[in-house]
Amino acid sequence: MRVDESFAEEVLVGALDGVHGNLEFSGELPDRSQWVVRLQFSADDARLAGRGALLEALFRLKEKLAAEGLFAESRKRALPRLPRRVGLVTGNDAAAKRDVLTTIQARFPPARVLVAETYVQGPRAAAEMVAALEAVCVAPEIDVIVLARGGGSFEDLLPFSDERLVRAVVACPVPVVTAVGHEQDTPLCDLAADRRASTPTAAGKLVVPDLEELLAGLARARDGLARGTRRSLERHQTRLAHTHERLRRAPTLLVERRRAALTQTGGRLRTLSPRATLERGYAIVRREDRLVRSTTEVTTGDTIGVEVADGSFGARVE
Amino acid sequence: MTYEEAEKELTQIVERLERGETSLDEALKLWERGEELYRFCVGQLDAAEGKMEELAKRVDAARPAR
Repeated sequence: MRVDESFAEEVLVGALDGVHGNLEFSGELPDRSQWVVRLQFSADDARLAGRGALLEALFRLKEKLAAEGLFAESRKRALPRLPRRVGLVTGNDAAAKRDVLTTIQARFPPARVLVAETYVQGPRAAAEMVAALEAVCVAPEIDVIVLARGGGSFEDLLPFSDERLVRAVVACPVPVVTAVGHEQDTPLCDLAADRRASTPTAAGKLVVPDLEELLAGLARARDGLARGTRRSLERHQTRLAHTHERLRRAPTLLVERRRAALTQTGGRLRTLSPRATLERGYAIVRREDRLVRSTTEVTTGDTIGVEVADGSFGARVE
Repeated sequence: MTYEEAEKELTQIVERLERGETSLDEALKLWERGEELYRFCVGQLDAAEGKMEELAKRVDAARPAR
């Protein structure tokens, strides 16, 4: 049995339950020793398996991809703070696309967005989304990609769990933000994405900064810069004034110190002068202005001068 | 001479003077040099302050009216 591959690719393994079509059988015996049998099945209708079988198939795929490490936290990349250009892969249905674009526009008016509209539902959706993702991620200046789709039924969102799409998200050279369905839906591409947004609006908020906030932050930074520079200047001024004060005082201190030393030296000088000795009660005797050091230097009747601590007087030798 | 160099020399002079180890003659010369350095430093700071104010005015003028 040969099933058309292009069709087989579109369905999750285990997702089909009952296929309707024509089975053709033909055979020939070209050389009598061997039959060549040709069997061809052309499917014209298929039924999706029940929810239980689908969930089981999804679970198995999730386990397999997780085992490969595709959902690992360590793989997740940080989103750019200010993308040069945002890629948006979404359906041409209004809501999700409009929500992402409106949010981006409101937060960061100069933002540039490259929109790739594609099928987001049905058997061709997964392959189309992979193609769109691959095309957008190589477009110039794309720094982040949003994959968005509004809410839908479990079956509607199945393409977002397609293995090919999950692998395309992983292989994408720029970070991918997914915003698929509602909060409670977790298609497998959400697990592979670098960030998962609960809604298209939330995705818009994630990929561009708020320009107002950005400008306010810049203004604060600049004010801080001016304040910091002023503080530094003031610190220098204070220190210089202090140093100058010391400079002003230093010579005076030096002179005072010298003066104190001089006074002390003067004191020592004075202790060496005879005056201190006179104050202790000694006297200086002079005869005709010459010091008398010996009794032989005077004779009776000589007039001598006597100097004591507080003055001098005349005397006669007897 | 940069501000830092001038300030460093000034501080060294003050410290030498405060230690009081110089001759009186030298002290006076150092003081004179110190005053010269001080004037240079003050001039530098005044210039920096003026530049800051001018810059602040220019930045304010360039601030978009929002």
